[in-house]
Amino acid sequence: MFTVFIDQFWQLTISGIALGFIYVLIALGYTMVYGVLRMINFANSEIFMWGTFGAIVASRDLFGYNQTSEPAHGAKLALVLFIQLFASMAFAGLTAVTVEFVAYRRLRAKGTNRLATLISAIGMSMVLSEVMRLLTASRPVGSPRILEKVILVEVWGAQIRLDTLITIMAAGAIFIILERFVKLSRMGKAIRAVSMNEDAAKLMGINLNRVITTTFLVGGLATGAAGFFYITVYEYTKFNIGFTMGLAAFTAAVIGGIGNIRGAFFGGVSLGLAEVYASAILGTQWKSVTIFIVLVLVLLFKPSGLFGEAVTQTRA
Amino acid sequence: MNKKIKASAAIVAAIALSFGAFATTSASAATKTFTLAYQGPLSGGEASTGIDEQNGVKYAIKVFEAANPGYKINLVSVDDEGDPAVASKVAPGVGTNTKIIGLIGPAYSGATIASLPYYKAGNLTVISPSATRVSLTDPKSPTAKSDYGRPIFHRVVATDDKQGPALAKFATAGNTAAKVFVFDDQSSYAVPLRGYVEAALKNVKGATLVGGDSVPNTTTDFSPTIAKIKSAGANVVIYTGYYSQAAVFVKQLRDSGSTATFAGGDGVFNQQFAVLAGKAGEGAKLTGVAGLADVDPKIEADFKAKIGVSSGVYAVESIDAANIFLSGIKNGKTTRAAMNKWVKSYNFKGIAGANIKFNQHGDISEGGFAGFLVTGGTLVNKGPVA
Repeated sequence: MFTVFIDQFWQLTISGIALGFIYVLIALGYTMVYGVLRMINFANSEIFMWGTFGAIVASRDLFGYNQTSEPAHGAKLALVLFIQLFASMAFAGLTAVTVEFVAYRRLRAKGTNRLATLISAIGMSMVLSEVMRLLTASRPVGSPRILEKVILVEVWGAQIRLDTLITIMAAGAIFIILERFVKLSRMGKAIRAVSMNEDAAKLMGINLNRVITTTFLVGGLATGAAGFFYITVYEYTKFNIGFTMGLAAFTAAVIGGIGNIRGAFFGGVSLGLAEVYASAILGTQWKSVTIFIVLVLVLLFKPSGLFGEAVTQTRA
Repeated sequence: MNKKIKASAAIVAAIALSFGAFATTSASAATKTFTLAYQGPLSGGEASTGIDEQNGVKYAIKVFEAANPGYKINLVSVDDEGDPAVASKVAPGVGTNTKIIGLIGPAYSGATIASLPYYKAGNLTVISPSATRVSLTDPKSPTAKSDYGRPIFHRVVATDDKQGPALAKFATAGNTAAKVFVFDDQSSYAVPLRGYVEAALKNVKGATLVGGDSVPNTTTDFSPTIAKIKSAGANVVIYTGYYSQAAVFVKQLRDSGSTATFAGGDGVFNQQFAVLAGKAGEGAKLTGVAGLADVDPKIEADFKAKIGVSSGVYAVESIDAANIFLSGIKNGKTTRAAMNKWVKSYNFKGIAGANIKFNQHGDISEGGFAGFLVTGGTLVNKGPVA
């Protein structure tokens, strides 16, 4: 039972961390919106899915790559990857802002209760996934290979591949940038102020609508970046991939303490690792079961999640 | 996000779909109009299989109408997405629509099981071109109560208990020390097939089973499975699921540096596998049933002219299945009861040359699997695996 785990430990760890970093970025999308609105943006999973298509549109339609083309090299490689990342983030960011405008802002302005926006967000998530289903005729869409998956080094039997390395480093960098943005920038302070006390923030002259839209945008950009890394590593997407990935990332956000940015980081990475370890030890069929047992245990001993104190203090 | 909400969305979609489908049946008012139905995945991830099969049925109808002036055949498209949950929502409407006197399909075994109660209740004869689960025609299986399709279920495709040995043999051919890893996608097609493959491996000389896994069909990260393959030192990997996941998997397998032979059954046997997998798919060994172009290039050319696209997988079976109903219509079997009797006593040659005659459980006696090798992005027929 443990032979695979011991035998392939470092390989599994690296795969788990790479998967975990993708979860971290999607979890940011959930956690940012929750931090400000105290509401789960259920459309975030579909924002992710739209982000994956952004990366494919860039490589396939903008640069003309197809399934049989050779991977890019040198400066061209950097350019294509950068444009893909940009396209993913732009697709997802725009989708997120649209979700805010359609499903949140108008209802908020009318003073509806929180459940109404919850449902309208779920509605948006169905619209987003159905539109993509129709656009792609329900078929899986393969992504052309842009980045050659070179094995850089082997350490303790674990292969460090170029795409895994790029995912871990770039996703880490994007995470740090966003975290710093919320911590240090003027807009970031406004976001945190609204998160702590909406009314007081309004009285201090903060434009509530602008803060909320920015929050959705930032969450969408993070989620879109996750879409890009997902495409680079797995080279495959479909109209319904959002559900599984979104659920996992949402779980990660809850484990880390929803509303807390660092919590999303630790939640995402530990979830990625838990998934691959559980699959290796117990068999892949036990993956989801194990994750939810971990979730229940965490919530049992720490109901607010691993990093969740700040949230319960600001709002009882 | 929410499963229940997704499920209710599926109900709405299914209702909308069935209304759409039936709207077409009442449109025509020709003198001799009869209605058949095709059921399979026409949307969703497996849509490629269903669309290919339905094209085969459409082709058979076109040929029949051209040869028999005065007959008009309406075809009702029943989209079950290859999903039992969807099938159980669309099947009741089909079962009670008595205009439909025969149904080609369902394409997948799980969807077939979900649909059977409604078709049994309506005495609607079905002939599946591709549902290969053994229990559908096995009264002694542990799940016979829900799965056994007599008297309405028939199929013109060989079953998984015959495919298992073929796949085991073909995957390990030319490898005198095959160390085989077999894994499934937890579907009602893949799990039993994996069992038949594993059982058959015992009879393949030099082959040993070194490990296995069971991976949900929503998986995109296969690194734990690949870790197991490496740890077990397997040089042959057999996947008993479907093509879209197989393509994602085989890319990751190759990227990990593994050169193990990749093999799959007729779920992977699809041109889209080669397209999605690209270079990583090269050399993959798949078992399936010979396509129309292999059977007769002339019919294939005619198919392309009439339908506008090349024939896909199960074209031969779909045409055969449709022809059984069409010949019944020609012989005046225009009620569900008469059609059932006609199919039960049917005994003619199919277009591939094998005799089509159903046994009491609804299985054909002849016909078998061929081995295919992915070469240059296409599936190349390597002949029958006996």
